[in-house]
Amino acid sequence: MTTPFHLTNKTIFITGASSGIGKQIAISCSEMGAKVIISGRDEKRLSETFSQLKGEGHLSYVSELTDETKRNELIDKLPSIDGFVHSAGIVLPVPVKFIAEKHLRTVMGINFESAVLTVARLLKNKKLNEKASLVFFSSVSVNHPYSGGSLYTASKGAIEAYSKNLALEIYQKRMRSNVIIPAMIRTPLYEETINQGMYRNVEEYESKYPLGIGRPEDVANAAIYLLSEASSWVTGTNLLLDGGFTIGK
Amino acid sequence: MDINELIGKLQGEFEDIPPGTLKPESKISDIEGWGSMHALIVIALADTDYGVTIKGDELRKVQSVQELYDLIIEKQKNPSE
Repeated sequence: MTTPFHLTNKTIFITGASSGIGKQIAISCSEMGAKVIISGRDEKRLSETFSQLKGEGHLSYVSELTDETKRNELIDKLPSIDGFVHSAGIVLPVPVKFIAEKHLRTVMGINFESAVLTVARLLKNKKLNEKASLVFFSSVSVNHPYSGGSLYTASKGAIEAYSKNLALEIYQKRMRSNVIIPAMIRTPLYEETINQGMYRNVEEYESKYPLGIGRPEDVANAAIYLLSEASSWVTGTNLLLDGGFTIGK
Repeated sequence: MDINELIGKLQGEFEDIPPGTLKPESKISDIEGWGSMHALIVIALADTDYGVTIKGDELRKVQSVQELYDLIIEKQKNPSE
């Protein structure tokens, strides 16, 4: 039997590919046969990701997705694609009574608005091939709040709602939209979260995961599934990846 | 600003910490009920009221209210650090 779990002949556009989950997804997609287009803000780190891609024909663009002009320039340069992964994101803990417009703009801008506006232009400019798969990231914290997390979790809740509506509007061409909901993954963002003092007792927090804190590879494997033909009947869903966190321990 | 102004502001934000608890020499780790939410409030207050960015790991090195005050003053003088 031929496995549908591969990305041969697919072109996948991945935002936020300069580090963490996005970087691993880019590398893993290239290992599964995809041509990968990566974007990120940090030129040096993006080129590190690019150098780790397997195979030929990949593209790399330094861009600022929250800047309308730069975002549109980037999208207009892209070839037509079979997959889009929005892994650009930011964590910015702010207590609710201190939330100012700048915090709101920053978090919603990158986590939500840049995804929505990128997809709009991809569709309008007919950059998405038939059967294209779109993958977004929410967070287990949408249903498991933490102090200071209101903006971040709200931006992720917004993405969940958006993805389901998107799925409804794009199914005619067998295009699909799904959300991956990871719990804690050991990435630079996770280290930053710890440094910001969100978890006073890191060991106690990590002990709540029966299968331990996740690895970027665990998320990349889920993204590969959602981008591949193996998930061709899957749309408008959320895929929870949590190492058993929500079964309780 | 002086340190009493900072203490007044912190006291105003920390509704769960009894008035008069905070003094310049107060050890932050000894404040009853101190938690991650208080740390977030300190970081947010430093940003909104004093225009300085304190990172979580910087705050964890701060032992007392006096040291917190010194850190804010230092950062106001050297915005790049």
